[in-house]
Parts: sequence; C-alpha cells; structure tokens
Amino acid sequence: MKNWYLFLLSLVAAFILFMILSFFYNHTSSEELELSEPIQIVFKSIKGQPMDFWEVVEQGIDEAAKEFGVQVNISGPRYEREINRQINILNAVIDENPPLIILAANDFKRLVASVERADSMGIPVITIDSGIESDIPVSFIATDNIDAGNKAGREMKRLIALNENKIIAIVSHIKETSSAINREAGVREALSSEDIIGTWFCDVETEKAYAITLELLKNREIGGIVALNEVATLGVAKAIDEQQASDRVFVVGFDNAVRELAYLEEGIIKATVVQRPYNMGYLSIKTAVEYLKGEKVETFLDTDSILITKDNMFKREYQELLFPVGNQ
Amino acid sequence: MKKTLMFRTLESRIYMIFTLMIFAAVFVMQLVSFRFTMNTVRNSTLANNRILLGQLVKQIDSYIAGMEQISMAVQDDLQLITFLQNGGDSSSTVYRSIQQRLGNYIEARNDISDIIIVGQAGGIIPGNPDMDLNPWVNIADKEWYRSALEAGGATVVSSSYVQNIVAGRYSWVVSLSREIVSPLDGKSLGILLVDLKFNRIKDLCQSLVVGSKGYNFIIDPDRNYIFHPSQQLIYSELRMEPIDSIYSLLDNENESFYHENDRYFMIETSSLTGWHLISVTYESDIVTDWQYVQISYAFLGLILFLIVGLATNRISSGITRPIRKLQKIMQSVDTGEFQLVGAIKATEEIRELAREYDTMVGHIRKLMDENIKEQELKRKSDLKALQAQINPHFLYNTLDSIIWMGEMGQNREVVLMTSALSKLFRISISRGRELINISDEIAHVESYLTIQKMRYKDKFEYEIDIDPDLYKSSILKITLQPLVENAIYHGIKEVDHKGLIRITGEEFGEKIKLEVVDNGKGMTEEELENLNTMLSSTPGSSGLFRQGTGVLNVHERIQLYFGNKYGLSYFPSSGGGIRIMIIIPRAELEK
Repeated sequence: MKNWYLFLLSLVAAFILFMILSFFYNHTSSEELELSEPIQIVFKSIKGQPMDFWEVVEQGIDEAAKEFGVQVNISGPRYEREINRQINILNAVIDENPPLIILAANDFKRLVASVERADSMGIPVITIDSGIESDIPVSFIATDNIDAGNKAGREMKRLIALNENKIIAIVSHIKETSSAINREAGVREALSSEDIIGTWFCDVETEKAYAITLELLKNREIGGIVALNEVATLGVAKAIDEQQASDRVFVVGFDNAVRELAYLEEGIIKATVVQRPYNMGYLSIKTAVEYLKGEKVETFLDTDSILITKDNMFKREYQELLFPVGNQ
Repeated sequence: MKKTLMFRTLESRIYMIFTLMIFAAVFVMQLVSFRFTMNTVRNSTLANNRILLGQLVKQIDSYIAGMEQISMAVQDDLQLITFLQNGGDSSSTVYRSIQQRLGNYIEARNDISDIIIVGQAGGIIPGNPDMDLNPWVNIADKEWYRSALEAGGATVVSSSYVQNIVAGRYSWVVSLSREIVSPLDGKSLGILLVDLKFNRIKDLCQSLVVGSKGYNFIIDPDRNYIFHPSQQLIYSELRMEPIDSIYSLLDNENESFYHENDRYFMIETSSLTGWHLISVTYESDIVTDWQYVQISYAFLGLILFLIVGLATNRISSGITRPIRKLQKIMQSVDTGEFQLVGAIKATEEIRELAREYDTMVGHIRKLMDENIKEQELKRKSDLKALQAQINPHFLYNTLDSIIWMGEMGQNREVVLMTSALSKLFRISISRGRELINISDEIAHVESYLTIQKMRYKDKFEYEIDIDPDLYKSSILKITLQPLVENAIYHGIKEVDHKGLIRITGEEFGEKIKLEVVDNGKGMTEEELENLNTMLSSTPGSSGLFRQGTGVLNVHERIQLYFGNKYGLSYFPSSGGGIRIMIIIPRAELEK
C-alpha cells in the first residue's frame, strides 16, 4: 500500500536533486541558443575584393556566431546590381524556413514582397546596411547614413573654406538606395550654406564616376566633390589623380578600399568616412540571438562611422578598421 | 485527503522523517561532491591551459629570437658597415651584394615581410629590389626609427601596426629595429628594420586555444593590444577585457587565474619582448559534459533513495506491524469478547505491552463473572420477594370452614379440605425450588379449586384440560393459582349464574400456552386494553390494579425469569368473562 508513494517520493526527490544541481551550472550554458537550422544571411554581394566591406562584415558575423554558439549561412548575388537574383536567393532562403533571416537589401522597395512572405511564415527578418520600405524587420542595423553624410559634409565645409573654388558637387552611387538617399541628405544638411551644383549617379561603376568627374572638372569653379561610396570615390579620385587637380578640387569620399587609402596618403582624397562593417556583422548576429531568445531589441542600431584623414589613418585604434588583418 | 490521513500514521511519519533527513544528507553530499568534481576538472583544465600558454610564449619568443639573430647577422656584416660608413652608390656592386644578402634572408624566412636598412646619410637599402618606397612616408617620424635611435644599439620590438613604407602596400607587421653602430668609432651608421609578418603571431595565438570559444590575446607593456581576435570590438567597446584585474595576477603569486562571469583569464609575460600573453577560457569549454556528471549524480541519488527508502519502509513497518497486530486483537473488546494476545513475535516493549494487556483482560473477565453471579443472586432475591404468599385471609377462611364442617360432623368434607390444603402448601413450598412440573402445578391449582369450591358451595364448576405431553414441562410454581383466585373473586363472585373456570394448556411452537377462562363479570374492551398496556410496560409500575396484585406478580415473575418475550395477556372470553393467556418457554425440568 505504501510502495507507490515511496517510489514516487524517491523519484520526486531525485528529480528535485537533479533540478537543483542543474541550476548551479545552468546560468552559463542555458544562455546558449539552440537552433536546429542556421540563421540565414543574404548579402548585397559576395566574393568581392579580398577584405572588402562584406568580407569584413562576414568576419564580424563569424566572431559573433562563435561567441553566441549559433550556425550561420551566408549567401547573396555576385554583384550588388543583381536585384532580381537577390530576390530569388531570398525566396529560396525563406523556403528553407530558417529561424531568422538577416538581409542587406539591394533595393529599398523590390524586396518588400519577399520579406512580407517571410513574415507571413513567421520568420523574423533583420536588415543590415540597407533597409527596405517596410516595418516588418525587427531590427535595422546599419551605419546612420545621415550622420555619416553629415560627417563628410562638415569635413567638406571645413575644407572648402580653405579653397578658392567654392562650388561643390556630389557623386552618388545609385538612385533608389537608402544609403545613397540618406548620405546625400546628411551631406546637404551640413553644407546647407554652401553652393552645391548637383548630384550625379554613377550606378556603382567606377568608370562612370570617373567620366562624371572629368565632366565636372571642366567647371573651373568646382572646389569640392563628395563621393558617396567606395566605387564613386575611386572613380572621382582616379580622375582627380589623372588631371592632377587635387590642389584645386578637394575630395571627401566614403569607405576604405586599399586604393582609396593610398589616395588618402597621396592627398588626392582629403578625407573618407568609413563604416564599421565588422561591428555591423557582429551586432547583426548579437541582435538576432537576442531576438530569438525573446529579448527586446532596438529597431535601429547605429554601427557608427568615422572620418578618416591622412593624419589619423595610422592611429592604433583605426588601423584594424582600415586595414583588416587578413591572410595576406 | 488520503495522503494527509496517511501521514497521520506512525509508519508514514517515521518514513517521512527518515526520507527528509536522508534527502538532506544525500543532497548536501552530492552538492559537495559535484562541486568538488567540477573544481577538479576546472583546475586540471586550467593547469593544462597554463602549459599551453607557456608554450605559446616560448614559441613567440623563439620566433622573435630567431629574427633577432638575423638582425645580428646583418649588423655584423662588415661589407655593410663599410658601405654605410663610406656612403655608397645604389648602383654599386657592393650595394647589390648587400641587397642580395638581405633578399636571401627574406626568401629563406617566409615569415619576414621586409628587411630595410636606413642609412644615416639618408640612403635606403631595401631587401627587395623590386619594391618602391612610399614617397609619402617620412621615415624619421616612424616610431620604429625613433625608438631604435633612443635604444642605442639594442633591439627594439614594436607593437603590431600597419607598415606603409612600401608604396601601395599596407601590411600588418611587428618590427624589430636596431641602430647599427660602427665597431670602429661607435658612430651611428643607420637603422636596421626587420618586419615580421604579423600573421605568423596571429596564427600562433589562434592555434593554441582551448575549446570552441577560447582565445588568446597579446598586450604590450603600454597596454596596447598587439593582437586580439576581435580588436575592432575592443576599440568600439563592444567587448571589454578586464585588463586591470588580469594585470593584478602578475603581482599575486597565489592566484593563477582570474575568473569573471564565464571566462577564466591567465597571463604570461614574454621576457624577450615584454609582451603579456593572456589566454581566455570559457567555462562551457572547461566542463563540456557536466550534464553527464550531473545525470550520473542524480541517478546515484535516485538509487540511494530507493535503497534507503526500502530500508526505511522495512524499519517503520517492523515497528508498526506488531502494534497493528496488538491493536487488532484489542479491537475484540468492542464486540464484548476479551481475547488474549498470548505469545507474540515482536520487540520486548511490545511483548511487555501484550503481557500487561493480557493481565488486564484476565482481571476484567474475573470481574465480569463475579458481576454475573451477583446479578443472579439479586434476581433470585427479587423472585423471592415477588413470590405470591398464600393469602392469610384465604388460610383462616379455609380453617374456619374446616372447623365449621368439623362441628357439623361432616368428617368426609373436613378430610377432603384439609388434605387439599396440605397439598396446596406442600406444592407451594416445593423444597424451595422455583420451577416445578406442570403436573404439580395442576395439582396445586386443583387443590386450591377444591377448597374454594367447597367454601362457595358449588357456586362454580371448573375444567382442567392440559395436554398430558406437557406434564413434564417446567413452570414457575404458583402461576395458575393467582389467576384462578382472580377469576373467582373479581369474576364469578360478582354474577348470579353458575360460574365456570376453564384451564387449558397446549404446545404453542417452542412455547407453552396456558389459558385461564372464566364466565364471570368480565371487563369492557377499554379496561382490557389498559390492562394489556400496563402488562407490556415496565414491570412494577402497576399502581391501582383492580385485578389485584397477584396477577401482576405472576406476570413480573415470568418476565424476570424467562425474559420479556413471555408473560400474560388479557382477552375477553366468549362466555362474557375474561380469558388470561400465559406464554412460557417449553423446557423439561432438570432433575
């Protein structure tokens, strides 16, 4: 008659014992997120130049994935302009029903439909670098491009004061991209008292930016060019270099391609605003893990930008940012 | 409900207390040993890590030392010293051969990025003839250059940095630089720069790590990070290393590691470079299978519990089973039987209890027997008190009649009446016995009737019709006579016609039914009913009883002797009188 409760009591006691013992080590291990499927990441482009922006983002992602113990899978189109391909890749990724998708959108509007589909399937989406025109993404992790543009604009304002030629032109990369829109807005805000003759779009092609700059240089009153991304900056710098116009036209660029840094050293580019792609990658995974654990996440996370000039480019704290330690 | 009820028993209480105590004991024991196991595992892992860290320091030191040997070899190159002292043309053959030798070193050691000699005069000899110097670099501003000058001939190891001395190339290096001093006059001839590929150090740091998450990092004496796997997180303050706390380990001999949250830090200092190498180990990597340890401990706990539980159960039921047995026997008191426990298999305490109980039961039994005897005595005395005595009026009336008949010379009648009286007394005495044969009772009542009939000059007739089978049955003596007396005085005497008294007797199931019927005055139905109610109520409550106390006495005596089932009841008789029915048990008289 008592055997059943004897047995039960012992089981319950052992169970309690087990639970209490678990408690002592649980605080370190239970924090780890257990995912059956990897987090899917869709980049703007993959397999670009070594140590380019997206490769550094990937390093940050890998570091975070290691730290938080999650699996990730990265995909994306070959080139940034392949919007349709990115949509197809995103759709394929959605079909795999991952726990979460991290997306760097190549188009502000055209990826919305796919993201809505992911949302209807209950897959959360985090956008990085470039967002989409939708409230669905649980978080947007990017450089505050208005602020970054502002930094470039303020530097240009400082430089143009030293220059006889006062007219400023903007060379942007692509028309309908949020980064281009916001950077331009930031630049224009900082240069509101200056004379900006217009914005040209190079469609993410160095040659086009180069050609635009050659055209612009025909205007002898041009004193400053703000180039809004890496490709635009390289095109502009190439033209200035060839025309040996660095004394009369001051260039403020964006990003930190090795060639750009050489131009910076040579004085062809006066300053460049660099983002923190490593942090972007790291924070995207950190945020994803926090979201999947049910914690509250910021809807927008600024990964910050830094104005780099010839004077500070070899400073200890920026060296790693500008020259990522790769497998040289 | 059932549970709370169960914990009220001694057995479950013993069990509960034992279980709780053992649970606490096992719990504390397991906790201590679990912690101990974990500590042991952690300490041995950390001890291994320390060895690993030591190896890392050694490898980096030997790497730097190897580079330093090269720099020594270069500086001892007499041809070079002569060249630097004299100042030479970059197109000269001496220059070429020096460059050739430097180039050989670079080629021999693929971990050397560059070897460059900066002459005091400003001439630069690059180890790689194909490289272009970066025109935008001012060598005199470079830290490796300045610190080498300050060191005055000693080797200076730089922190890690981006070397931009080659045009269009930005490579991460650690620089070894030293001043080349003339062996002749001690004058400074220039600076030798050996750039080591930083990747080599990075790879070393990344190869000797523990677990999936552990990592190493290097800090120079000025607390600059030479290497950290996620340097950018450090500079943007997304990750913090508790440098101060780690450094305090250097002054503290007793502590070999610093523990913060889930990370363990250990520090070693390279004597050659002054660098601090710090290894970071994650708790989750140290004890990867703590769950298994935990499960086995829990399983052990379960088994211990089952064993102890069963043992407790045996102990508790061993205590309570004899008590239960005792209790069951004692329950017989409820039903009125007083069973003895007798010999019982139990502990001495319980046996003692049983013995005391048995003694008690013995006493109770004795007391009960005595009580029964007393009751018997009391009943007998009651019966005696109730026994109808021969009415003295009847006696002297009868004696008067005898005298009167004697005077009249009616000798025959005198004899008859006297013998009837004599018989009447003999039977009523019956040697003191309560019970007599029915035949004796008949003789008794007949004697009485004979006397009365003679006295009342044939005022009535009587009939006795009792089944002869019943003659041997027993009856309380003087049962019928008071009824007959009643019938004469209250029935027949009151009427003018000749009376008739009938006495019948027959078997009535297991009982005997006797009836005394008269045709006298009789009673109303209401009176009869009242009488019957009175008879069935408590004996002795008969206040005014018109019928005389004799009849009531008979009833009470029957009930006292045989029980309430028996006794008298009144009925109207068909002849106008009353019929009294007597029910008594049928039993033979014992001899």
